[in-house]
Amino acid sequence: MSSEEDRKIKQREAGDRETARLWRAWRTVHEMVRDRGYTLSDDEVNISLEDFKREYMGSDGSVSRANMKFSANPSDIMMKRYSNPPTDREPNPPPPDIGQIFVEFLNDTSVGIKQMRNFAQFLSSQNHHTGILVTSVNITPAALKIIPAVASETRIETFLETDLLVNITHHELVPTHVLLSKEEKTALLQRYRLKDTQLPRIQMGDPVARYLGLRRGQVVKIIRKSETAGRYASYRLCV
Amino acid sequence: MATTKTPKSILKKSSSYPAAATTSSKEERDRGLALYHARLIQSRKDIELEILLSTETLIDYPLASSLYDASNPSPADAKAFKDFLRPFQPSDYDALIVERNINDHCGYTLCPKPRVRETGGGKYRVIGTRGRAKDFRVVEKEELEKWCSDACARRALYVRVQLSESPAWEREAAQSLIKIDLLDEPKSEDDSVAEELGQLHLSGEEEQEKKQNTANLALERGDQGRAAHHGLVDVKIQEKEVQRSAEPPSLDEDDLSGRLDTMHLTLEGHTPSFGSRRERRDDEEEADTDWKI
Ligand SMILES: [Zn+2]
Repeated sequence: MSSEEDRKIKQREAGDRETARLWRAWRTVHEMVRDRGYTLSDDEVNISLEDFKREYMGSDGSVSRANMKFSANPSDIMMKRYSNPPTDREPNPPPPDIGQIFVEFLNDTSVGIKQMRNFAQFLSSQNHHTGILVTSVNITPAALKIIPAVASETRIETFLETDLLVNITHHELVPTHVLLSKEEKTALLQRYRLKDTQLPRIQMGDPVARYLGLRRGQVVKIIRKSETAGRYASYRLCV
Repeated sequence: MATTKTPKSILKKSSSYPAAATTSSKEERDRGLALYHARLIQSRKDIELEILLSTETLIDYPLASSLYDASNPSPADAKAFKDFLRPFQPSDYDALIVERNINDHCGYTLCPKPRVRETGGGKYRVIGTRGRAKDFRVVEKEELEKWCSDACARRALYVRVQLSESPAWEREAAQSLIKIDLLDEPKSEDDSVAEELGQLHLSGEEEQEKKQNTANLALERGDQGRAAHHGLVDVKIQEKEVQRSAEPPSLDEDDLSGRLDTMHLTLEGHTPSFGSRRERRDDEEEADTDWKI
């Protein structure tokens, strides 16, 4: 009988740990979406563990990931940052390639082609511009190949829950990364008389680049604090 | 007796080569080169996408009704399976098995049954305890759970070993015609008989070989190959025009007399002149001095 109780306690502890993990992943994903420039209120981002439990925990004491999905729209500032300035060659540039973002937490114990295809179809049908799929397990390599295959319809990014337990950009050794708009990029290159390929680089797979959803060809300004020089900035091209 | 004869160059006359036909500018050539590589990359991407879509399709196989099973697949499914598999590498095939397992299908594409779920924990299973000692094995539970049965594991691996290790975009023409056999071919008589009849006509052993030879030749000449629709080099074959009737080599009389003293030095038609001529000159000088004394 004591072993029975023991088992129950262990189970509850495991459940609590799982809930706390999901809450932290939830917080990080919201911070990420807001840091990219989408509109989210403070209440949505800074949800407390208690509120999180009240909102998403079922009667059986486990959190239902299916309920954790949410979407957000780009702010005006973000729209401006992604806009294409008119040039001589293109007086009427295309509208900014940005739109509603949708985030889903997937509970499946394995994620393959089918789940990825379903997610892509859902995004297209709902006219979501970007989709973030948060999974608890690794996605199969074949399923990841679906992402470029549907890139013309929708942008898909994937994250592991484990990667979202802490917000890496809050770490003191990670300098602030700020995305430059196209106009700012042009101005920068003109000022230093550079071609963008002459800038140092940041990989698209870099954790901070993934956090900010950087695209190939974008430039980030990296602001570091220095003990001797105060603050100084450097620039990197996303490749 | 020294015959004044201009030394003959052993090098071929450069004028015998036609002037190189590169009239295009550097930019044009650079552009051609870039295009060539872009096409290679594109064809590779196309094949990779084809494999991905085939994998996606094969997850839900077999399509046929319950009349058929893995030991007797429907001829249509079996044919489609073989066709889809052609560009696959073993690693792509493994990915297909994983994807089928995710959807709880038996790893063998033509099997309609679900895969087994071993009850109980533990990472390993002991099998073959009842048979002879050589059947005894310890395997990972995960490995067993890929299939519905041992038979299907065997069927699936029978197909796997037939797949080409080289990626489809690098394969030679003959390899892209690989024929995949199943451990259990369709048994339904009408279809299989018809299929075999067709094969009898179209691709007897000789015919098959001929086809492969043609394909190999085409590849060697750069006419074909999935990746090389447009080669870097524009190869034009120009037949050499023969103007006189062919005649066998002969020993010409006057030609011979001039070469007699050096003929023993001749190697494959070429006579090294350096050593022999100097020796001759030395001889002459010596003779001269003899006379003076
Ligand atoms: Zn099976």
